[in-house]
Parts: sequence; structure tokens; C-alpha cells
Amino acid sequence: MNATTRTGFKARSDAALANPTLKTAIDRTTGTAERKRAAALAGFAEYEAARSRGSAIKDHVIANLDHYLEMFERNATASGAKVHWAATESEACDIVIRLCREAGAKRVTRSKSMLGEEIGLPDALGSAGIERVETDLAEHIIQLAGEHPSHIIWPAMHRTREQVAELFNADHKPPPADDEAASMVQSARHVLRGKFLSADVGISGANFLIADTGATCTVTNEGNAELTTTPPRVHIVTAGIEKLVPSTSHAMALLRLLVRSATGGELTQYTTFHCGPKRPGDADGPEKMHIVLVDNGRSEMIANEFRDMLRCIRCGACMNHCVVYRQIGGHAYGGTYPGPMGAVLTPVLDGLAQSRDLPFACTMNGRCAEVCPVEIPLPTLLRAWRGRSWRAGLEGPRMRAGLAAWAGLARRPGLYRMASGIGVRALRLLGRSGWIGSLPFAGGWTRHRDLPGPTGGTFMERYTARGARRPEDRR
Amino acid sequence: MTRATRPRVGLFVTCLVDAMRPEIGFAAIRLLEDAGCDVEVPTRQTCCGQPAYNSGDDASTAAVARQVIAAFEPFDHLIVPSGSCAGTIRHGYPALLASDADWGPRAARLAEKTHEIMSYLVDIRDYTPGGLRLEGSATYHDSCAGLRELGIHDQPRRLLAAVDGLEMRPLDGENVCCGFGGMFCVKYPAISDAIVGEKADTVERSGADMLLAGDLGCLMNMAGKLNRRGSKVRCFHTIEILAGGGNGPAIGEKP
Amino acid sequence: MSARDSILSAIRTGLGGSRNDPAAIAAEAADLLAAPETIRPPLVAATLVDAFCEKSEALGATVDRIGSIDEVPASVGRYLEGQGLSAEIAVESAALFRDLDWGDLRPRLAVAPDAPAAVGLARHGIAESGSLVIHSGKETRILLAFLPLHHIVVLRAASIVSHLEDYAALLVGHETSPRNAVLITGPSGTTDIEGSYVRGAHGPGFVHVILVFDA
Ligand code: SF4
Repeated sequence: MNATTRTGFKARSDAALANPTLKTAIDRTTGTAERKRAAALAGFAEYEAARSRGSAIKDHVIANLDHYLEMFERNATASGAKVHWAATESEACDIVIRLCREAGAKRVTRSKSMLGEEIGLPDALGSAGIERVETDLAEHIIQLAGEHPSHIIWPAMHRTREQVAELFNADHKPPPADDEAASMVQSARHVLRGKFLSADVGISGANFLIADTGATCTVTNEGNAELTTTPPRVHIVTAGIEKLVPSTSHAMALLRLLVRSATGGELTQYTTFHCGPKRPGDADGPEKMHIVLVDNGRSEMIANEFRDMLRCIRCGACMNHCVVYRQIGGHAYGGTYPGPMGAVLTPVLDGLAQSRDLPFACTMNGRCAEVCPVEIPLPTLLRAWRGRSWRAGLEGPRMRAGLAAWAGLARRPGLYRMASGIGVRALRLLGRSGWIGSLPFAGGWTRHRDLPGPTGGTFMERYTARGARRPEDRR
Repeated sequence: MTRATRPRVGLFVTCLVDAMRPEIGFAAIRLLEDAGCDVEVPTRQTCCGQPAYNSGDDASTAAVARQVIAAFEPFDHLIVPSGSCAGTIRHGYPALLASDADWGPRAARLAEKTHEIMSYLVDIRDYTPGGLRLEGSATYHDSCAGLRELGIHDQPRRLLAAVDGLEMRPLDGENVCCGFGGMFCVKYPAISDAIVGEKADTVERSGADMLLAGDLGCLMNMAGKLNRRGSKVRCFHTIEILAGGGNGPAIGEKP
Repeated sequence: MSARDSILSAIRTGLGGSRNDPAAIAAEAADLLAAPETIRPPLVAATLVDAFCEKSEALGATVDRIGSIDEVPASVGRYLEGQGLSAEIAVESAALFRDLDWGDLRPRLAVAPDAPAAVGLARHGIAESGSLVIHSGKETRILLAFLPLHHIVVLRAASIVSHLEDYAALLVGHETSPRNAVLITGPSGTTDIEGSYVRGAHGPGFVHVILVFDA
């Protein structure tokens, strides 16, 4: 969805690597997140059991998704909300814009929703001439900077405190007292307060959709969701269809995993359940509530190799623990969702040809799957994309030819012996000192590091030459 | 030990060890024999297939897999001095051949008897090396595939504890990937370099004389980066140390 | 075909085969909640009240324990004085509060956008997490819990439940759900700037619990 998709991944990641400020910002936030998560789990002895239960809950929902969607629709409707369905991102935006127009909306407030980003809602509101006020602090920063989120939990994590201060100094009147985080938070509180109360429509996302009550559940730490959803006349929720859970209790079981994995807390400051519009006699609340259920590629994932990804509860742990993300940050990925989960989802959303680098720009180290609270086998899913990429012929001709040659040898041990013997002798000529500092066909390696040369003939040569299984040449 | 109780193990050398550092293969043979095994090296082996596997070329991977299965199924165990290759054989092959009525079950049977060498020595053979002495300090990096696909963590540490004089130093981020990733390091060299650069920082901060690990690919990556920076840290595969090779040339040192 | 029908039919095609009957699905869903003690942390203290207090204080909330509802104004007064706040405060329109003698305090029903302090009533406390639960309603203005800088919350000790599921069990069906149920777990905060924690982002920066032992 992001405009950045159009420039290449390599160019974007090179730019990110060349930006020391970005690295500082990434390290500060992911480092804290990693430490806090570890501490939270150290105090949660039941984590592994909770984790497999959480995965089972999500699997159960997906296996009965039609049932739960209908149940949710029934209960949400009975609570007075109106449920809308959108098959694609543009359908979803069209519905939201139409609802805003029907409400005569000039100003809408929005509390952070990655689904909103996924469907391109911020831009759609802009094109429709509706003033959009992002109320989550990070989204406020992003909006001032004219950027997209670089992390699903900390959308502005690519910006240092000093950079945020610059934005606020330019926009906030009066500007923050200094560039300490506390002063800047104060300043945003002050600036946004008036806008909350004068908005016509409030738009939020949902972490869970509760089938048996028809409620939507949202967690925020700032309190901006309530301020977004309570004062306006109309509240619109956009949510992916995979967000269903059978009941509030199931949501609680997943919340324990979500919050610990995301921020290292036990429960986010505000966990709120919205069930329909203002009831007769209620002291406050919106007159109308709309819920837009968005498919956008999800129903297709049920039947293919990416079904496990529908368990994702968007905690961000996989990116916080990803060595690649921690070097290049979120924008380099070029999609709405970065990191390992983004590398799986972006090809679904934007097409594999657009995002083919993502599944390959991974060392397959497995740490993402290890920390995922719903046991998503992310490397396996990335491997599935690699398989699709290969079968679709998206690999370049050089790569295909190289692998074909390798495969031909690997399947003929005799020939392989000969070829490896020759290769090793060639490398030994280059590496007389032990190290090879530059190698024409492996420039990617030797540009950054030396290559230790082979220590002698191949193992197989030396082993067979001895004609024995008990070599004496061990050092 | 009587002949009958000595397991017959097939050593899967790995393509990297075969070409770049055969000493690791010989160290493996020595340790396995010392642990009471009869070791053979089937000649119908080349590579486990990871270059194709990690590129999405499943057909070529399956072809290589069938060759490995055929060569090693006669043995009691298949032993590999690499967590990454062992992981591919244990988890990749059965998944890849799952729908094949003949090869699927054969892949599953081979997977069950495939072990990374350090975990085999400790978990299956209950082996402790004897009479080892090496003055110096070392730090240990947990290679990802061994750690996460096979649960190798305590075994190398237990084996290394048997080396007299060797002081083990903690490595900050010991479980964090070194940035090798097979094809990754040549496809995305700049990202890989940034990752291994941080790894080299933590290795140097450990203050250890030596860096040990269980996978030659990761070791070549880390050793190559350390050498480019002029670091004096010497890198070995753990089983070289356990086979008494700690005073010989380290990775990249002139033989 | 409407988007609704096309989405549902795509899901059904994807899932394949015959669909499970609702009773079987409900039974499976119930099984997924079995043995809750194996998937949640035990309470941090022996009693609900002690566990609740320990958790809320760890989150940065303060707790005052009183013996009856009548003591609420005095407790509020102590807090306001301690914080150097004015005696003019927003108070929830609960019947319970209306009959109290507020003495020197000047309670008002309206809550200003930048109100320094407000007094509200929580329906429940949750011992597992130290959370306070508020429900929107005729007497409860949700904004009262979000606009002020200091949120003073009156909670009856007897209404503290043990775990999150014990509260969740009260919300079954839309009939039992208020428009808005909020679990408040500590003061508002953000880590959006470099991951460092700052209190009072949009909501209250201070949460003070007045725990009433009047059972
Ligand atoms: S894939 Fe797992 S770790 Fe990553 S965001 Fe989703 S739930 Fe969290």
C-alpha cells in the first residue's frame, strides 16, 4: 500500500543501513522491548501452556470463521451497531468515506489501527477532503512527518527524541518546553485535546471481535481510543475478519499473550470493549456505531500455505527480535507490515512480484517463531514464499543457472568430487596466506569480510587417499 | 564394548567441511570412535541440499534428499558436524517428501536417527572427553539451526567443561543470529555485514581468546569479519577443540 | 453477489467439506477455556484485596483504604490536599455520591477537558492485574475517566474479582454488555518516544483508588 513499494528493497535497505540515527532509534526501542518482554515472561510460568492454548483458540476460530462472523454480525446488530463487509481495501475505504459523508463529517479522529494503514485509510480520507487527526502519539508524530508507520506497536520508532522535538517545535503552538520525552508528551496532550472533543467521527481498529457479545475490543496505553470513540456522533471500527474470538474470556486468554509479547506489560492501560452505540439514557457515547469487516486477502489464506499467519495477533515481538529488522527498520520492507510477519503478509497484500525480496532477506534463524506468542512458524511460511517465487520463475537467470549447475553436481557424487577438488585447489591458490581478501564471484562476501581459504585437499580426497577410517593427520 | 553394541554410524561430512576445513570431519571421526562408534563415511554424499532448499527449489532439494536417504539409511545413525544440515535432514526432508508414499516414510525414519554430533555425543552416547588440556579462554555462539531446530544448548557447554585450563566467557547475545544465513549473506551482503559486525563487537567484548560454535558456515562468517577488523580472536569448530586440535591453526590461519 | 456473501463463500470454500454444527463448535470453544489456572498467573498475594493492591501500586496507582462510603469525601479531600489540587472536582453522578456530605469540597457533575481531578466509581477490581473496571451507563460518563489528570476511583473491596475470566464471565451476550466497558490498568502512559515510559499521555497521569471495606 505504501508508496515506497515502488523503489527497490535493496535501495531502501542500503539507505537505512547508511543512517546511523535510524539505527540508534531502532536499538533504543527494540532493545527496551526485548528486555521488558523477557522480564514479563520470566514472571509468567504458565506462558508455554498459555501460548499453545492461545494458538488453539485462534486455530479454532479460523476453522469456524464463517460461523463466528455470522454470530458476531448477529450480536453486533442486536446491540445497535451496523455491520459492513468489504472484500478489498478499496471497498473498505469507500464504505468508511461514505459513512463519514453521511455523518456530514469535517473532522475525524483516528486511534491507531494497522488495518487502517493496510487499507490506505489515511490517504483515502485526505483525498475525500476530510480532516484526519491521528490521536495516538506515535501516529501524531508520523502524521506531522508525512510518513507511514515503521513498526506495528511503535509506529514512530524510527525517529529519535531529537527528531520528534523538531516536528513538535514546528507544529505545536506553543512548542514543547524542551526535548525531553515528558515535555513532548505534555505538548501533544494539550494540542490534541481540543480536537478530540470537536470531531464528528471517531475511527478505531480492533484487537479482537467478540462473537458472543458483538463487541469490539481495543487496547491502548494512552487513553486516546476512548477519547476518539466517545465524543463524536459516529464511531467507525475497521477490523480484519481474522480478529474474531468466541467470547470475552477467550479474548482475555489472548490478551495475556499479546500484551506481554508486545510491551512486556501484563495488561495494557486501557482494554476496552465497545458494544453498539449510546444506549437510551447513557451519559455519553456516539449515536451510531459502524463496524467494517475487511477481508483483503484473508479468506484466500485459509486454503493456502499461509493459513497459520491468520493466527497473528500483531504483537510485534517477531520484529523486535529480528536481526534484519533491527538493522534496516520498518520502512525498508516497503509494505504496511514490516519484519518477519510483514515479510509473510506483504506478498499477500501487494503481490509477490512487488515484494519478492522480503522472503529472501531473512537468515532463517527462527528467533521470530521462537518468540511468537501464537506459534506461527514464520520461517516455514517465508520458505513457502521462496518456493512460490521459484516456481513462478521470479528468480533471475543467473541464479537459476547457478543452482541448476549446482544441482547437477550435487546429484552426481563422482562428478561432485572432481569439481570440488578443482574448486578447492583454485581457492587455495588465492588463499596462500590462509585468508582470501577478495574473490571475484563472491564479492558480496569479500567486500565486508575475509574468506578463510581451504586448509588442504577436500575431506573426501584425504579420507579416501588414506584408505582408512582412522586418519593420523589430525592436528 | 562388544562389537554388537557398537553403533554403526554414517558421517555426513557436509559440503563446507569437505571443501574448506576437513579437520572438522576428522575430529568428528575421532570423537565418535572414542565414544564407542564404528564410523563410516559413505561416498555417495555431497551436500544436504540447502542451497536449493533455501532458494525455494524444492524439486532439486528433494532429489538431493533422496540421495542422502539412500546412502544413509543402512546406518544406525547419521551424524553431522552441523546443526544446520542436521536440521534440514531432520525437519526439511520429511516435510518435503511428506506426500511421497515411498520416500516420505523413509525420510521420516532417517530423520529420527539423524543427530548433530555434539548432541549425539552427550544425549545418546553420554560421552565425556578425557585428558584434554588447553590454556586460554573461549566464548560460545549458539548457531541458530542447532539451537532452535534441534535444541542444542547445554551439550557443547557440557563437553567443553571437560577441557582443563579452558575458561569459558559469556557471550552477550549468544543466541542471536550471526547474519550468515547461507545464500542470505551473498544476496544481501550489506545487511549481513551489519549483523555480523554487531556479532564481532560482542565477541570482542567477551574478552575471550577463542570463539567456538557448531556450524562452519557461521564460523567462517564471524571469523572472516573478525579477521577483516584485525581482531586476534581465533575461531574453531567446537569439536576441533574436543578432539585436541586447539593448538593447531584456527579458521583462516595458515596451515 | 454482495461482499458479505462473497467473503463468506470464499471462507467456506477455503475451509472445505461440511461445516461443524454450532453445538459442536460451542463445546470446542468451551474446552479451550478449561483449566484456566494452567494458562494464567496465580495471584500475587493470598487475598483478592492484597493481590489487587499490590498490583495497582506496582503500576503506579495509589490506594487509600476506608471503612465506609461515608468516608469517601474525607479521603478525596486528603488526596487533593496531598497533591495540592483545588477543592473543585468533577464527580460521577452516581446516586451513591449524591447523598454524601462533601463538606468543603465542591463537587460538580460536569468534567472540563482539562479537569485537574475527577471522582468516579468502579464496578469491579481485578486482582490478577490490578485493573479497575468501569461501565458506561446513565450515571457513568466515560469521559470522566479520561479527561482529568487525576482519576480518583472508588472501589468496593467486595467487588474485586480474581482473574480476567471472572470478569469476562459477566459479559455474555450483548444484553449484559454495556456500550463501553473499560479495564483501566494503571495511569495512562506512552512509550512512543524511544520506548521510554511517560505518564499521562492523553488519559490521567495519576490513578488513586479509594478502597471501601463496607461489606
Ligand atoms: S507473527 Fe507472531 S510475533 Fe509476529 S506480530 Fe504476529 S503474533 Fe506477534
